Amino acid sequence: MAEKILAEKNLVVRHSAIELIEHWAIAISGLILLLTGIFELPVGKRYYIITLPGLGWSADYITSLYLHYAAALVFTAAGIFHLVYHGVLGEKGMIPQKGDVVKSIAVMKSFIGIGKEPPMHKYLPEQRLAYVGMAFIILMLVLSGLVKTYKNIYAPDMSYTVLLWATWIHNSFFVLFFLAFLAHMAAIALRPNWPMVRGIFTGRVRLDYARHRHTLWLADIEKIVAVPAVTVPATASSATEAELMPEPQTLTEEESLSVVKEVPVETNDEAANQKITSDRSE
Amino acid sequence: MEEHKLSHISRRSFLKISAGTALLTAVSLPKTSLARTGEKLSTLIDLSLCDGCVDREMPACVSACKTIHNDKVPQVIENIPEPWPRKTIEDWSKKKDVFNRLTPYNFIYIHKAVINVKGQHTALYIPRRCMHCDNPACATICPFSANHKNKNGAVVIDQDLCFGGAKCKDVCPWEIPQRQSGVGIYLHVLPGLMGNGVMYKCDLCNDRLSQGKLPGCIEECPRQAMLIGPRKDIEARAEERARQMNGYIYGKKENGGTSTLYVSPVSFELIGKTMTKQPGQPDMQPDVKRRMADTDPLGKAVLAAPALGLAAAGTAGALKWFSRRKELTNRVKDNG
Repeated sequence: MAEKILAEKNLVVRHSAIELIEHWAIAISGLILLLTGIFELPVGKRYYIITLPGLGWSADYITSLYLHYAAALVFTAAGIFHLVYHGVLGEKGMIPQKGDVVKSIAVMKSFIGIGKEPPMHKYLPEQRLAYVGMAFIILMLVLSGLVKTYKNIYAPDMSYTVLLWATWIHNSFFVLFFLAFLAHMAAIALRPNWPMVRGIFTGRVRLDYARHRHTLWLADIEKIVAVPAVTVPATASSATEAELMPEPQTLTEEESLSVVKEVPVETNDEAANQKITSDRSE
Repeated sequence: MEEHKLSHISRRSFLKISAGTALLTAVSLPKTSLARTGEKLSTLIDLSLCDGCVDREMPACVSACKTIHNDKVPQVIENIPEPWPRKTIEDWSKKKDVFNRLTPYNFIYIHKAVINVKGQHTALYIPRRCMHCDNPACATICPFSANHKNKNGAVVIDQDLCFGGAKCKDVCPWEIPQRQSGVGIYLHVLPGLMGNGVMYKCDLCNDRLSQGKLPGCIEECPRQAMLIGPRKDIEARAEERARQMNGYIYGKKENGGTSTLYVSPVSFELIGKTMTKQPGQPDMQPDVKRRMADTDPLGKAVLAAPALGLAAAGTAGALKWFSRRKELTNRVKDNG
């Protein structure tokens, strides 16, 4: 994982190139799937979409199917890649943690001025919850889509019961996917989340933002840098709120920069190093 | 009346052309049911035998079909909701008697083709209905799977699930399914915005087949111009008849293959020329392509996508693992 602090540029590397490619492959193919999925409904002619410039093909179901398949190829492959790649490497930063529901409520309350945000890891608690929701939606869409594709090519006379399940799962989760996409956009629209947006384009976010909001994440990185690796405890990544709560925002810019190094400290201890790598990938 | 006469003269000409084979095979063929639920079935329509029931007010097959199916269409509501924004309403409930085209109340009709064969004008009568394609886009592409191909080959629309969007009609090369607005599930959802009725077409009398009965059209044909049976038998019989009459087969390759085989002493190219595709009146172009077949290679790639993702993850994961290991080894060396 390329996660590191670039102090002189006031940036933190938040996402690796592979993660950016995964996100955008799924996002762009997902949007194409959404659009061509809508065009697989008889809406092109009825709603005069065919009269819109560039959308004359919207009532041609076979053209939509081509695009749907092309996007599904990317979407499915990227989704499986994501699961297997990060699963094998043990990167669990987006898996919900205990107390995420309560914390995410606190975060949302803070958006409307009630209370303060709890200190956060690399991902917000609601991001972790949303991730699981979105992953489940995508999984169901992919599985049901594969059944439908198999039917289209090899088995138009497949079990009607299986087909009806696949069809209605696909249709229902299509609606959920659309709603989840809207929720994702709504989350981006919230002002406190704006600094994270650049991260998904460039892979980097502002250091001062991260230090202010993602205290636990920064602490993890800095702990790895600051503490001799051989003594890193097994729970290094799980720094508690109590340990880190003492006014993390009170660090001055100077203080912040003073602990920042671009070269990560490693150790001869392979086990500890693996732990470090795993922690950073969160 | 004159036409009638012409058709009879023409019929005799055909029998001459096919050396009388059509009549002989008709006699030798049993009309009895070969239909067994679950077995792949096909139908054969022998155009050398069909005379369009010109002596009847309504062809026997059409009449039988109407008797069986007309009552199945539910009562159409009085004020059919106007769809928005395109305000197309298709209401055949007051024209149930129409039988010269396909409608929601008429699943089979007879096209009369007058063709010049070797200088003689002759009439062929061609029953037209759903072909029950082997891989029917009308069914596979239905967004609600309201249309489904059964194991026995019958392509059946479930009128309780159909929203009447007419997508099946758009993707059918013959535009067979017909819409009746003002009936169906859409009335209970968002009638003004979504759906517009129910699509209707021949279902090969699937209910009757499951009861061991013949489809109505086949049972009532007075000239045994239509047969139904196990697919292989019907294909063999169609080949045999075509060979005997030095004729042609339609439906074997068309749209990727169908469960309906027409056998004719006249080429379907000539027959096709007598037809102009009009609403409810399909044409009969030979070798009509199954458009969805072109998407199959990409669909197969989609089916392979999980393996592709897995392989990519394995490769990327292995590279990462090796690079980490290399890095560690170097550090160990550096640290002495």
